[in-house]
Amino acid sequence: MTLPTVVAESMLIPPPEPPRPPAAGPGDWVRRNLFRSPADGVVTVVAAVVVGYVLFRLARYVLVTGRWDIVRVNLKLFMVGRYPPDQLWRIAVALAAIALYGGLIAGFVRRRQDDAQAAGDAPPAPVWWRQVLELLARLWPLVIGVALLLSLTTSTGPSVIALAVVAAAVVGRLAGSRLPRRATAVLVVVGIAGAVALVWFLTRPVGWDDWGGLMLNLFLATAGIALCFPLGVLLALGRRSKLPLIRAVCIGYIELFRGVPLYVLLLLSAIALGFFVPSWLEPPGLVVRAIVVFTLFTAAYVAEIVRGGLQSLPRGQIEAGQALGLSPTRVTFLIVLPQALRNVIPALVGQFISLFKDTTLAGAAMGFLELSEVSDVANAQDAFSGQRLAAETLPFVMLLFWVGCITMSRESQRLERKLGVGYR
Amino acid sequence: MTEDTVFADATQMGGTGEVMIELDGVVKRFGSFTALDGVDLNIAKQEVVVVIGPSGSGKSTMIRCINRLEEHDEGRIVVDGVELTRDLRNIQEIRRETGMVFQQFNLFPHLSVLDNVTLAPRQVRRTSRKDADAAGMELLERVRIPDQARKYPGQLSGGQQQRVAIARALAMRPKVMLFDEPTSALDPEMINEVLDVMKDLTTLGMTMIVVTHEMGFAREVADRVVFMADGQIVEVGTPQHFFEDPREDRTKLFLSQIL
Repeated sequence: MTLPTVVAESMLIPPPEPPRPPAAGPGDWVRRNLFRSPADGVVTVVAAVVVGYVLFRLARYVLVTGRWDIVRVNLKLFMVGRYPPDQLWRIAVALAAIALYGGLIAGFVRRRQDDAQAAGDAPPAPVWWRQVLELLARLWPLVIGVALLLSLTTSTGPSVIALAVVAAAVVGRLAGSRLPRRATAVLVVVGIAGAVALVWFLTRPVGWDDWGGLMLNLFLATAGIALCFPLGVLLALGRRSKLPLIRAVCIGYIELFRGVPLYVLLLLSAIALGFFVPSWLEPPGLVVRAIVVFTLFTAAYVAEIVRGGLQSLPRGQIEAGQALGLSPTRVTFLIVLPQALRNVIPALVGQFISLFKDTTLAGAAMGFLELSEVSDVANAQDAFSGQRLAAETLPFVMLLFWVGCITMSRESQRLERKLGVGYR
Repeated sequence: MTEDTVFADATQMGGTGEVMIELDGVVKRFGSFTALDGVDLNIAKQEVVVVIGPSGSGKSTMIRCINRLEEHDEGRIVVDGVELTRDLRNIQEIRRETGMVFQQFNLFPHLSVLDNVTLAPRQVRRTSRKDADAAGMELLERVRIPDQARKYPGQLSGGQQQRVAIARALAMRPKVMLFDEPTSALDPEMINEVLDVMKDLTTLGMTMIVVTHEMGFAREVADRVVFMADGQIVEVGTPQHFFEDPREDRTKLFLSQIL
């Protein structure tokens, strides 16, 4: 009776896998992964032909047949709309200031992390040129996007500005790591005051209602994000309030704004806002209206996202704070919100990315000269009209948005990883 | 007064004899379920009281009422002369005087170990960061993990986390410590390191109420043992009385089940 034994053994113990042959070069890899069977081979060949054809057409379009001169000629229009050419230095100054501040923050945060790690057993920070390489790798979409834009310029001005901006960021980074540890509050105040000052500075020659191009899209998105976030958090907290009136108001607000289309709100605010503003008060300009609509609309979504984060927090966290004698406000802002917000970073950033892209709707609804409208304007110019060159301008617009969105997305993932240190 | 009545009367105290916590006819209901059904208990300053009983008997609810994590429906609770009312200031005051340690640790995962300990002193007592850090390190030394101060709770073992939780509760210099099954969520090999820290506290004269299933701990350090069942205090006595000569049938049954 040897047979049953053999059967049992073969059932219980899988036969040892034949040792994988040592990698015998690329030919072997191709055979194993792409041509294992005749069917595999057919699929591989067909897929390769299709992909190859699409890539070929795309490359031919980008490099040969595409008439990118419409983008080249209108590059300034795409970037800053009709901002007066002799005032462009203001934008350069603004970009440098933003880069300086960004560098300050980066340096400050890095220093605090190094301090915290010095007490632990983490590896020391890499040498400076490694850090530069890491930064380039981290921001590659932005780097390539800027390089592409600079390659389209005909003058040296933009390249000089780009260099100045990078220099400002480096200066900020170095200065930031020398700030005292307790500068957080000062940095926040400087950031907010600086933002207001910058907007004032940029609106000297032309009011923001006459801004255009990428600058306008970025301005609408930044203002909308900065305002909708605190409002959304307050709404989320209000929705969980013990006071029925506050709860009802918050729920009503959220459900109202989630229930109506953004585009319709934009159209309505362009026309009907006058009904709500008393006659002695000058009705706000279109950009203000757009920012208000973006803020109110997105805040409702932010509120629901944050509510999800609040609900994900175990009850014991709140009880632990209460048991220590922390006031309800402190429990909310020191214990609940930091954890809840971290948990919803992906969804929040998704909403912000969505807001950035929806700024194109403001162009259609209110006639701003934002990016997608610039595309129309360029195609209406004498030199380009009737030539269907939207096939060039719209992909260019898409590329600009993509660079912005992918950068936000990648940075948020990085933030998530950083905040996840030592988590559960 | 015979020995019997001393042990049967839940309001009798050990310790210094000076009252620290007074529960007087406390009733707590969750919907139609009565979790506490008229609990009378006085606890003296520096007394260590261990509360035992089957699950669902109201042990946790009782100590959660003492720092108002649950609101009692009837009766009176007085902690160090302050009665618990709806007045938020009273509640805050009592919570500052009572430290609590939870079964699930409930450390703040977004703060370092040291910041977990110093958060409340800095925010509630307005201690400067420097002083709070120094005091925090002292407490971490007392619970024997000063070397973990910069780490985050998620990087520690369960036993270490619970010791941090004890340090965090001590940071407010409370007069009373409440322990809600502090070792029930721990792996067996980590239970003793936590119990050792708790024993240390008893030598410092801390008033403690400990809900636990660790009978060895109860026998060793308790001044009195309280046995609860169905929301009522069934029997109170010294560990000696309790483990060697319990009076009530329910106590005998419970002890026979767990010992």
